[in-house]
Amino acid sequence: MKQRMDTYVMSNGMVLLGEPMEGVGSVAFDFMLPSGVAQMPAGCCGASNVLSEWMFRGAGIRDSRQLGDALDGLGVQRSTLIGSSHIYLGGALESSNLAQALDLYADAILKPHLSDEQYEPARQLIVEELASLDDEPRQRVTIELRQRFYGDPLGRSTMGEMKDLEGLTAAKARQIAQHCLSIPQIIFSVAGKYDFDAVCRQLEHVFGACCGELPARRETTSRGPRYTHVPHDGAQVHIGLMTPTARFADEDYYNARMAVSVLSGSMSSRLFTEVREKRGLCYAIGAKYHSLKEAAGILCYAGTTPDKAQETLDVILAEFNRLADGIGDEEMDRAKIGLKSSVILQSESSGSRAGAIGGDYHMLGRVRSLDEIKERIEATSVESVLGFLRSHPFEDYTIVTIGPKEVRVG
Amino acid sequence: MQFKQETLANGLVLIGEINPPSKSAAVGYFVRTGARDETPQINGVSHFLEHMLFKGTERLNVFEVNEAFDRRGAQFNAFTSEEQTVFYAAILPEHLIEVTRLWAELMRPALRDDDFAVEKNVIKEEIAMYEDTPMFDVMDRCRSLHFGAHPCGVSVLGTVASIDAMTAGQMREYFCRRYVPNNMIVACTGNLDWDRFCETVEAVSGCWRTEPVERPLTDFRGTKAKTRAEKANLKREHICLMHTGVSSQDPRRFAASLLSMIVGDDYGSRFYWELVDKALAEEASMHFSPMDGTGAFCSYLRCGTPNVGKVLGIVEGVFHDLAANGIREEELVKAQNKVLSVLVLKNEIPMGRLVDLGFNWMYCGEYRSIEQDVEAVKGVCVEEVNQVIRDIDLGSYTQCSLGPTTS
Repeated sequence: MKQRMDTYVMSNGMVLLGEPMEGVGSVAFDFMLPSGVAQMPAGCCGASNVLSEWMFRGAGIRDSRQLGDALDGLGVQRSTLIGSSHIYLGGALESSNLAQALDLYADAILKPHLSDEQYEPARQLIVEELASLDDEPRQRVTIELRQRFYGDPLGRSTMGEMKDLEGLTAAKARQIAQHCLSIPQIIFSVAGKYDFDAVCRQLEHVFGACCGELPARRETTSRGPRYTHVPHDGAQVHIGLMTPTARFADEDYYNARMAVSVLSGSMSSRLFTEVREKRGLCYAIGAKYHSLKEAAGILCYAGTTPDKAQETLDVILAEFNRLADGIGDEEMDRAKIGLKSSVILQSESSGSRAGAIGGDYHMLGRVRSLDEIKERIEATSVESVLGFLRSHPFEDYTIVTIGPKEVRVG
Repeated sequence: MQFKQETLANGLVLIGEINPPSKSAAVGYFVRTGARDETPQINGVSHFLEHMLFKGTERLNVFEVNEAFDRRGAQFNAFTSEEQTVFYAAILPEHLIEVTRLWAELMRPALRDDDFAVEKNVIKEEIAMYEDTPMFDVMDRCRSLHFGAHPCGVSVLGTVASIDAMTAGQMREYFCRRYVPNNMIVACTGNLDWDRFCETVEAVSGCWRTEPVERPLTDFRGTKAKTRAEKANLKREHICLMHTGVSSQDPRRFAASLLSMIVGDDYGSRFYWELVDKALAEEASMHFSPMDGTGAFCSYLRCGTPNVGKVLGIVEGVFHDLAANGIREEELVKAQNKVLSVLVLKNEIPMGRLVDLGFNWMYCGEYRSIEQDVEAVKGVCVEEVNQVIRDIDLGSYTQCSLGPTTS
């Protein structure tokens, strides 16, 4: 059966996407607001986080408590995620309440009160969350790594910067909101059980008057140092490593994904086998593909006790460096099956589909069907992956460690 | 959805919930064994054994096991709790039979000495990783404090000392006692052929021998002790509270689950409005953990040191208000809607459904459809939740804090 994709472009350019799913009673949706950390003015890192909190503290005819109660009354499972490019406001619920939930989210986006009274607790909550990062070295290493790998503004901390948050005023945050929220560059996606015509009519009605342009973003500055160590008197050294690869929209995207899959797609892949199964160096070891629209990297994490940190890093780097030497046919087959299987398994979740189609549109300007993804994976070969790796060798690593001991980076 | 059940001659129970339109299937072995079934000498053995199952059989080594799963694109893993060890895989329907056979074979592992030695390092790395995760650390400490000498207070991971001292021989002996067919079940969900599933399991598992196995079940209401530990590398206060709960078999478990939603859901709960909305704590949640013959409510709070006194005072106020005045009708309706939403979303996917299906059978020996659970949640009234509040004595709890050095 051919998969159906719903697309509607409103008169002001706002894009609405949908993917109906058979046999489900739930629906999930995502509003992607182009107000991620990289979109914020200089000196305002964390304003996206504050806005995402503040906008739900009273909107339309409801105060903060009434809005929260109304969402709870519909059984909405809420999610807020701050990314480099976007704020992702997600919801998942039983499908019969979708229209009411969309109205509440539209209020938060278009008619937030942004009151002085609610500003300070919203800002303070983000400050508190950021302060907790010091106690979470595993999470922190990824944030530190992305800052150095992508540079400013793309790699800015998605949790904000303390000095910026301390200086951020309600007036400044309100000014940013005026430029960033009611604009037609919002991408809306929905998956599961829904009536697309009804969704389009409703959103055209409430978002139809949005106009304006995104503020221009600053040029990316140079990346951070090759190696950074952050002292932390914990039990483990948390190692993060990142190296550039093909972007989501690049011709070599699928070759890059297959390379990551051979390295770390599953338990028979190279990093798990060499670092954990053969040597027992780590419990947590893995690499994943990470892409922004403008740049992409392979991001590797390992956590290990101090005496094993050097060997762990050495083994990881050796595995990256020898990947271009050759890939076995069976290895390649497993990587392909693993990737195709995970695409199909994820397609059963309305939440993961809503996120995926919105992400596709942002990156490519269109939504890929599952068949297209499967065909493109199938079309890769040992030769195509090796060809890509040899023309784009891993030689530029950004490394961050957090823990009681530094490592040597050759 | 169609429910199926069969019991082999050796007592191994097979259950399945068949849903032909699903794009995937899931299979899991549920073993009724965990930290509460260990002695102090072998603390951590259940979890260590879970790792060792992946190391292969007489026929397969660890690399061949990983490759066999990966050739079928299986998303597979396992987890160990205080009382369960569960091995599972989500797969495309055409691979269900091969992956079921693989799991069945792995349930009779080789437990080789050299694999045991390498994996010991991995287990100690896992212990170190959780030491660097204060939320986990404080919850583990609080559980031990709350349950005192009761078996549910035993740490799942064990300690570096208990893992160092453990021998492969001790593990083999524990395995022989616990991984017997009358102490485990096999469950499957999604798009699958039930008859072929049963034939596959029986061909491998039909010869396993039954052994007497026991787990003493006693309820325990908690020590209600209070303590604080310090770590120089911490910047924030991590606080865990534990209340007595009700068991997985107890009909009050639905009301208990709604109570935890009312008190400590991430959004819209009492904790949320009193603590998170006001930015006094950035995390304040409560979860209900029903267990075999007993149960607990576990709350986790995280805040800056200057706010600790205020946060704990407010928490106490929330508990006292609920104890004195009970919950409000509209709070119950909101909690019911949220619980139902979670239930529907989780159970739409075969892998999400597998765990509920298996646990219902493990704990209650019965099949419960999603509709039955939905009705049970909808049927809870205000008075039933208020009765749970009285039964568990909400004002009285165990408390463990972990924070920076104060001197």
